[in-house]
Amino acid sequence: MDIFSDLVMGLSVAITPINMLYLLIGALVGMVVGVIPGFGPSAGLAILLPVTFGMDPIGAIMMLAAIYYGAMYGGTITSILLNTPGESATVASTFDGFPLAKNGRAGPALVMQAAASFVGGTVGVILITILAPLFSQVSRSFGPPEYFLLAVMGMLTLIMMIGTNWKLGVISALIGFALGTVGVDLETGQGRYTFGSAELIGGIYFIPIAIGLFGLGELFFAFYCGLHKTGTGSIVQYDKEERFWPTAQDWISTKFTMVRGSILGFVVGVIPGAGATIASLMAYSMERSLSPTPEKFGKGEMAGLVAPETANNAASSGAMIPLLTLGIPGSASTAVLLAAFLLWGLRPGPLFMQQNPELAWGLIASMYLGNMALLAINIFAIPLFVQLIKVPYRVLGPIVVVICAMGTFSVHASFVETYLMFAAGIVGFFMRLYGFSPAALVLALVLGPLAEEALRQTLTISRGSFMIFVERTPSLWIIAVTIALVVLLPLLGRMGSRAKKVEQAGG
Amino acid sequence: MRVLFLVALLGGAIFYAYIAFMDLNFMTRTGRLGPGFFPRVIGVSGIVITLLAIFEELRNKQLQEGSAEQWREFGFLVALALCYAVLLRLFGGYVATALFLVVTLAHLNRGRLMQNLLIAVLVPVGIYFLFDKVLNASMPPALFALPI
Repeated sequence: MDIFSDLVMGLSVAITPINMLYLLIGALVGMVVGVIPGFGPSAGLAILLPVTFGMDPIGAIMMLAAIYYGAMYGGTITSILLNTPGESATVASTFDGFPLAKNGRAGPALVMQAAASFVGGTVGVILITILAPLFSQVSRSFGPPEYFLLAVMGMLTLIMMIGTNWKLGVISALIGFALGTVGVDLETGQGRYTFGSAELIGGIYFIPIAIGLFGLGELFFAFYCGLHKTGTGSIVQYDKEERFWPTAQDWISTKFTMVRGSILGFVVGVIPGAGATIASLMAYSMERSLSPTPEKFGKGEMAGLVAPETANNAASSGAMIPLLTLGIPGSASTAVLLAAFLLWGLRPGPLFMQQNPELAWGLIASMYLGNMALLAINIFAIPLFVQLIKVPYRVLGPIVVVICAMGTFSVHASFVETYLMFAAGIVGFFMRLYGFSPAALVLALVLGPLAEEALRQTLTISRGSFMIFVERTPSLWIIAVTIALVVLLPLLGRMGSRAKKVEQAGG
Repeated sequence: MRVLFLVALLGGAIFYAYIAFMDLNFMTRTGRLGPGFFPRVIGVSGIVITLLAIFEELRNKQLQEGSAEQWREFGFLVALALCYAVLLRLFGGYVATALFLVVTLAHLNRGRLMQNLLIAVLVPVGIYFLFDKVLNASMPPALFALPI
């Protein structure tokens, strides 16, 4: 077995004391970021990316990946105990998680969510292990036309899934594209939108924008919503309960839920632009429609918590597939991960697993270990995170401002970039307030230059003819899948939002 | 208010498209796509969609606005953050951070003087050790060093 020996090699790379330490730190930080309301994996990754500069590449990538999937574990704790999702991917977990806690079953709910997250994450990594080499094989036949189409597909699905107002989603993406064109045009050497400024020749740098939008922007929005004034008095006191551990019944009744949720989540995660939030909502509504007792959902049904939890963790693993094998991020958080890879001089893509086997397999192996570590942290360190939830937002807020500023400055020691971060924070606040999508902006900022380069190369190959897109078999397939997604996703999205509405109506 | 934001975006889109059409070529001399191709597509679609969104916004303006208090809280934090950005340039990372934390916490976390002072001192110290000692990253240097 090729895969098996690769995996053993990966484990041997990953298991060194210092790498294990980085992995644990990453998992803990990811949990913390997940617990803080408003901050998801993208904010955590962007803010902490500069911190990894002093490390060696494999340790840094392992740590950042652990932050990424660790955030999915942490976000649920507040969903269950406070009815406040730590981030959008854990919204579906409040539907049944909080009722469970109110019924005096917070302990079992917390343990089951950790187990569900572990199953989802681990099934996801197993599928990565099997599928990533296959995907690399397929994607090796991809040329510029396919890359252009994949970038278009990612943007299309993301904008379609934003839901509320597609125009605002498109505008957000266009802002990202526009920012992506700033700098010297690599084909002709002509400066674009640099206005003679030396700072802009290299283009608008990604990190300050991401930190500003996801870190500072979310923080401003939280203050606007008055989060710093509400105490955490409504937190469910779980330590007075009689039973902390789940019953055998909990495990038996959810064993198929875990399998279904994991596979569904993974598949949705692989689709560029779809992601963990949609996966969790879909898994929830699927589970309810399959259940013999759908009326119990929303009133504290264990399967209603397990389904979204397995799905969102499996989806964040699934999103690693296009990132590793194509070099195309499908979400804002994988876009930040891509930026991290690029900073280390690594170019994910079809040849990545071949050219950097230690790194690629080390990363995959580390995800098995990371999920195990997160399971243990999740069950045994719950009291610690409950303490963290009690730290008032009014104290946390100013400290986050400081960390955003210091993190941005430390990248290039540039005041211009630090000011850019503050500006992006204010713009990010208004985008959040008026229903725009910061995630679409960041993804477009990364995908725009990729798409432009791919399109220009394509048309150079075809001597200016757009027919090349329908003459190549791989690109035809991508077009077919894109059309299928454009037709199917609105239906699935409606399914998810219906689940949301029913829950809100039902209490 | 969303209309104002959209109008500002429209202004940006028009400026962006103007430069794309005036300064950047659509094609290169050899007949390939030039540096202006993408910006023109982005600029024009930006103007069209922003206009659509503005019209839609004007037709149904039932968007409720936040209360004055919400805006005050937001404005307060933004103003302090911007002051912090300026202070960073003037006094460097440590002093600016301590000042920012003292002032901000004095307002937000009122009445807990000791706790606030402790945070204001410990956070810059923690950042110093993390960035300067462990990570070997640079901190914002001071333009005018304070004699401390």
